[in-house]
Amino acid sequence: MLVKRRHRDAATTGRLSQIVAGMAAKPLDRRSFLRASGLTVGGLAAISTLGAGMTRRVEAAGFTDMSQPIEVKTNMCTHCSVGCTVKAEVQNGVWVGQEPAYASPINRGTHCAKGASVRELVHGDRRIKYPMKKVGGEWQRISWDQALDEISEKMTEIRGRSGADSVYLLGSAKFSNEGAYLFRKFAAFWGTNNVDHQARICHSTTVAGVANTWGYGAQTNSYNDIRNAKTVIFMGSNAAEAHPVSLQHILEGKETQKANVIVLDPRFTRTAAHATEYVRFRPGTDIAIIHGMLYHIFENGWEDKDYIAQRVWGMDQVREVVKDYTPDVVENISGIDGATLKRVAEKFAKERPSTFIWCMGGTQHTVGTANVRAYNILLLATGNVGYEGTGANIFRGHCNVQGATDFGLDVGNLPCYYGLGAGAWRHWSRVWDVDYDYFVNRFDAVPAKGGRDARTPEQNMNIPGITSTRWFDAVTLDAEEVDQKDNIKAMIVFGHGGNTVPRMQDAQRGMDALDLLVVADPHPTTFAALHSRTDNTYLLPICTQFECDGSRTASNRSVQWGEKVVEPIFESDTDYSVIYGLSERLGFADEMFKNYELVQGKFGMEPTAESILREINRGAWSIGYTGITPERLKSHMANQDKFDLVTLRALPDAPEEIKGDYYGLPWPCWGTGELKHPGSHILYNTNLHPMEGGGAFRPRFGLERDGETLLAEGSWPVGSEIEDGYPQFTYGLLRQLGWDSDLTAQELAVIQQVAGSDEEEAMDAVSWSLDLSGGIQRVALQHGCVPYGNGKARAVAWNLPDPIPVHREPIYTARPDLVASYPTNPDRRQQRMPNIGAVVQQDVVDRGVSNEFPIILTSGRLVEYEGGGEETRSNPWLAELKQDMFVEINPEDAAARGIVDGGWVWVTGAEGASRARVKALVTERVNKGLAFMPFHFAGWFQGEDQRGKYPEGTDPIVLGESVNVITTYGYDPVTGMHEGKVTLCQIAAA
Amino acid sequence: MARMKFLCDADRCIECQACVTACKNEHEVPWGINRRRVVTINDGLPGERSVSMACMHCDDAPCAAVCPVKCFYTTDDGVVLHNKDTCIGCGYCSYACPFGAPQYPQTANFGTRGKMDKCTYCSGGPEPDMSHAEYVKYGANRLAEGKLPLCAEMCSTKALLAGDGDIIADIYRERVVTRGYGSGAWGWRTAYGDTVTV
Amino acid sequence: MTMFSKLLTAFGLVLALSFSAPMASAQINPTERSVTEDSLFEALGTAPVAGRTTIPDAQAGTLINDANKGWAALQGQTLHTLSIVAVVGMVAILALFYLMRGKIRIDSGFAGRTIQRFNSIERFAHWTLASTFIILALTGLNLIIGKSVILPLFGEAAFGTLSTWGKIAHNYLAWPFMVSLVLIVLLWIIHNVPNKVDLEWIKQGGGLLKKGVHPPARKFNAGQKLIFWSVVLGGAALSYTGIMLLFPGEAGTAADWQFYQTIHALVAAALSAIVIAHIYIGSVGMEGAFDAMGSGEVDENWAKEHHSLWVEEVKSTQERNTKQVATPAE
Repeated sequence: MLVKRRHRDAATTGRLSQIVAGMAAKPLDRRSFLRASGLTVGGLAAISTLGAGMTRRVEAAGFTDMSQPIEVKTNMCTHCSVGCTVKAEVQNGVWVGQEPAYASPINRGTHCAKGASVRELVHGDRRIKYPMKKVGGEWQRISWDQALDEISEKMTEIRGRSGADSVYLLGSAKFSNEGAYLFRKFAAFWGTNNVDHQARICHSTTVAGVANTWGYGAQTNSYNDIRNAKTVIFMGSNAAEAHPVSLQHILEGKETQKANVIVLDPRFTRTAAHATEYVRFRPGTDIAIIHGMLYHIFENGWEDKDYIAQRVWGMDQVREVVKDYTPDVVENISGIDGATLKRVAEKFAKERPSTFIWCMGGTQHTVGTANVRAYNILLLATGNVGYEGTGANIFRGHCNVQGATDFGLDVGNLPCYYGLGAGAWRHWSRVWDVDYDYFVNRFDAVPAKGGRDARTPEQNMNIPGITSTRWFDAVTLDAEEVDQKDNIKAMIVFGHGGNTVPRMQDAQRGMDALDLLVVADPHPTTFAALHSRTDNTYLLPICTQFECDGSRTASNRSVQWGEKVVEPIFESDTDYSVIYGLSERLGFADEMFKNYELVQGKFGMEPTAESILREINRGAWSIGYTGITPERLKSHMANQDKFDLVTLRALPDAPEEIKGDYYGLPWPCWGTGELKHPGSHILYNTNLHPMEGGGAFRPRFGLERDGETLLAEGSWPVGSEIEDGYPQFTYGLLRQLGWDSDLTAQELAVIQQVAGSDEEEAMDAVSWSLDLSGGIQRVALQHGCVPYGNGKARAVAWNLPDPIPVHREPIYTARPDLVASYPTNPDRRQQRMPNIGAVVQQDVVDRGVSNEFPIILTSGRLVEYEGGGEETRSNPWLAELKQDMFVEINPEDAAARGIVDGGWVWVTGAEGASRARVKALVTERVNKGLAFMPFHFAGWFQGEDQRGKYPEGTDPIVLGESVNVITTYGYDPVTGMHEGKVTLCQIAAA
Repeated sequence: MARMKFLCDADRCIECQACVTACKNEHEVPWGINRRRVVTINDGLPGERSVSMACMHCDDAPCAAVCPVKCFYTTDDGVVLHNKDTCIGCGYCSYACPFGAPQYPQTANFGTRGKMDKCTYCSGGPEPDMSHAEYVKYGANRLAEGKLPLCAEMCSTKALLAGDGDIIADIYRERVVTRGYGSGAWGWRTAYGDTVTV
Repeated sequence: MTMFSKLLTAFGLVLALSFSAPMASAQINPTERSVTEDSLFEALGTAPVAGRTTIPDAQAGTLINDANKGWAALQGQTLHTLSIVAVVGMVAILALFYLMRGKIRIDSGFAGRTIQRFNSIERFAHWTLASTFIILALTGLNLIIGKSVILPLFGEAAFGTLSTWGKIAHNYLAWPFMVSLVLIVLLWIIHNVPNKVDLEWIKQGGGLLKKGVHPPARKFNAGQKLIFWSVVLGGAALSYTGIMLLFPGEAGTAADWQFYQTIHALVAAALSAIVIAHIYIGSVGMEGAFDAMGSGEVDENWAKEHHSLWVEEVKSTQERNTKQVATPAE
């Protein structure tokens, strides 16, 4: 074994080492650790400047004393959505070491820069240490009680004045599933649908596009499964920087399968560096490119005709549309020549299985949903969904953005995509054991204004709220324009940055105009520092997910249970506790928390994560979170090494309780926990029995369209007793099939209860997603059927603005000549707000903006930072690696402007005379005419250093200009996603 | 006896910097000291490759040759370590090292570099194995615990390999044969006078 | 910076080679095009392999610099040997000389009368220079040969402490050394301009080899001028390179620093050897010589034998002065 043997012993010890040896006797306990890390004065001062203080090992918080017992805790990385297991070694309540978690089939011990440095999060030198509020412009320390008392009073006051909808509840993809669910439930009890989170700005268009195509808004396969792919396309995904650990699977797959890895991206990314083919294109032209590929595919008959016939509806209409996208047209729009596209299309269609990976390069556009739809159509045309090695591998962003989306931190949904209809509200009322009318009473009545009809509270319950991309417009726009009782008056922001949405000048104005701003976060985000508010501004220290229990859902829908590693540090507290504290003061805690086990927390009572998950298990039928019990999750975490690397399935030697399961019970995990459904590694996979994780496309758009069936034809999952398509299961369908007799008496009783009567008609309507007993699901599965049905995917989504995607120029386009043929979507109202994209685009063309701002600006991620970046920029291990905000600029553009590598430049934006002072990174990575800026920076605003605006000792180590100062107007017509990837700018040496 | 080496498979390295922060994390390496770093060659161009570099623990280590106070020593595992009690911070090793491994806590001017710090292959220094004194000066001693360096253990794509030179060379060779390409065992020729041939 | 731009140019070259294929519609296969270590070594020759890194340390961008091994060998072996040869060699030569020639006596014995050879300012300058030089030389030599000479004697811990203090002393005493060096130049440069007298002195071997031979000399004979110029020029070289070593930021690239270090070590070894000879002749080597820098007063006979012309100059000046003093003002 590796025992170190030396040529010689230690040298005679000097004075220095004797002093050091004297210290060794004293093991570091939690108390002295916290003292050392700065709750007391002085410690922080040393770190506030990056001078000598930084160059010293302040206190050996990472020392593991081998003579003391080591506790090993398992949790997951709190950064991206890959879901890397973090193995923490804890001594005396201090997290002393981070060991590789080799057992995890997802990361196999590995991490990226962020994951390998998460231990620092609970050192937390720069964390918010205690609740604070602004008094006369100064931050002042207050107690939790005072903070929550004052906040709830002000919320109530605003509610009285402007209505419940005037309080905006911005949640977080960093919540645990339980936290996200609780926050959504909190919004319901408060009486608003103005509840959102980061999914809005990362994959809302994906969820909309994908769900509208084949049923569920989630990654169809998994990171691991990409090992099976023969062709992998990345389009608008820089996984090497955004999801580094996923590259482990992709590169190993590339090597062993000799797979084609094709990267289509405006920028030669670090992912592209490992591709077998790199294709550059003009940002914002994805649809033209995909249609260009489909043109070749249909032209040459490379499409999968059987698959289309059996499982896809409307492909012929697509065929007609793509005829217009000839190689010349596509080259003119995108810059990609026909031969290249033909080659890529042929590989994708013929060298199967093929998978298509996209991220925010595809989603953050005014055509985000349409982009996603185009990708889906390409996958469907080539028969690449629903099998191993295929699929829409959507790499989601934050660690729990999938879970937070699933649990309805979304202006248009209650938990689990039930929507906002009366049925959805009634379903969750039953689960929560609260009267439906209770919620009706909590909502505002909306008066008639702006030519729109008035709404009763009950109607208002069904209307999606304002998206997080527009909250500031909802503060500052004329009240007539905002389709709710009053403007937004209060922002309650849990774990969400303020620099990740475009038009930060407007966001700043919005922040200044609010009556109340509450930032609940481990770090002060841009929401705490961008504005010049003097009062009514609160900072609540929330702990990280390493300081509380809870489950989180990785991008591949695998759910993992995170154990509390250490107690919340300083005076920080859990999301659970703070939501409870607020609910208590707002008077609905008893109703809201009645199903939970409440325990004494750090500063008050809080519900246990397990008891929240159990409630989720009772209600989350629609996406099969019902089988994902805390017990099962915990045994998965305890037996990670028993899962196969590629199939994610528990190996034959696995213990009984996990035998046959897929790792993390990727949803849908049907039925109750007792059913022991293994989860669904690959969605819509007809090669497996539904009880083994098989499935089919979900028919959720009716049974037929234009006289054609929307149910699958000649395709069904293995073991299906119905050998054809079928609609979703209801009690009525069970009765028709004669399978109702398989229901137990208990199940039948619950179905009756849900139906509200024992009348046949009412009972017949009870579906698989409303039946709280799980009986309908159980019986369907028992007969080899998928509870939601077996339908066709839609190549034409008639309910979307573009049923078949068409190319539309970005609003701030560098090709104004194309706008006449490919204009942006017409203006409309959506999510209570006006969207005037077409007016803006016309103005951009008319004013010749692209002459004054000739460089296309796009944005993206860096590996060291995440999201708004406050947390990662506060971590010295990461911050050291990227100390300056920068703009990537092509050498030709740089030379023409006298810009040198590493020199300061001003980037000016096309709206509001916006500008940002950043460093130039002169590189061929971007083409001539294109610039790139990362979006993780904040703390400088148009040349002004805002360090002084952060409460002392909480300012992130690295500050910089935010790209979203420069980015401009533009919103997806379906989800309100912002345009983060294409705008125009000018760059000049500073 | 094992001869410990690092090998960075640049065709796997995606410059994710996990090795860098894993090192910082494991040893609480202060700001400004980079025991390991990632260098990207042909940055932004097709052909770009990144290499994670730290002390290569050379045969006939040049640092040891120039050290005025002979503070370097090589363990039986082939790991080149140094004694901070003896080190005078002269900086010579940093000029002798072909890999830029030696680091100093302070600015180099006026001889105020402080004690040299570098990658220890996660095997500490001359103090008793896994002692607090060893940790404070050199960081953790994983080798003594029977573990390999954390940078390699945590490498996101398993690009950075650590372990016995022959074994990791075999792993690398096998990869190159499987996939049909390889950009070389970066630094091996310089550190060991020989590279991995396939 | 210069080196860095050179590197970049070198890379441009490599890239130009690898991108000879037209970019337009040809397939870009980054995997196939990947740069390899072998191809880079071939293209770069001895230039370092470098790239971009994100930490601010500019040197961190250099991935592999094979040339450093060359300097390491030079520093670790060649300079080490040379320094030992220079110092030990000179000591050996002097020992041999002492055995053969013995102490050079004042042929005519002590006169008992003295004349002032160096005033207090001159002596102060000399001794400042001398003492700092000795410490600098010893601490400097320690860095090169201490590990093979002193370490075995003292043991590691003591040697480490010694060397640490030695390094501090070296860095700080360099400044008084440089100041006194300037002073010495100002005081003595006028006396050290080579002239014809020196030729004769050299022709006669300075009278060192034979008893009773005393070639004429002014205040400084050719041998002393040699020492002077060695110290001045060598000292200047040491000062300049030393400053560069102290401020590596100013020194330029690592290669520049290595160059300065090599010069510093070579000059130091040579000058140390020369100064050892100087010390020898000024102390045990020659009777009466030490007083020149000791009390400043030398025996008249010693002065006549070794600096006959200077004695005459001094005498005539004294006489003139005496006359002037004796003669009434009017």
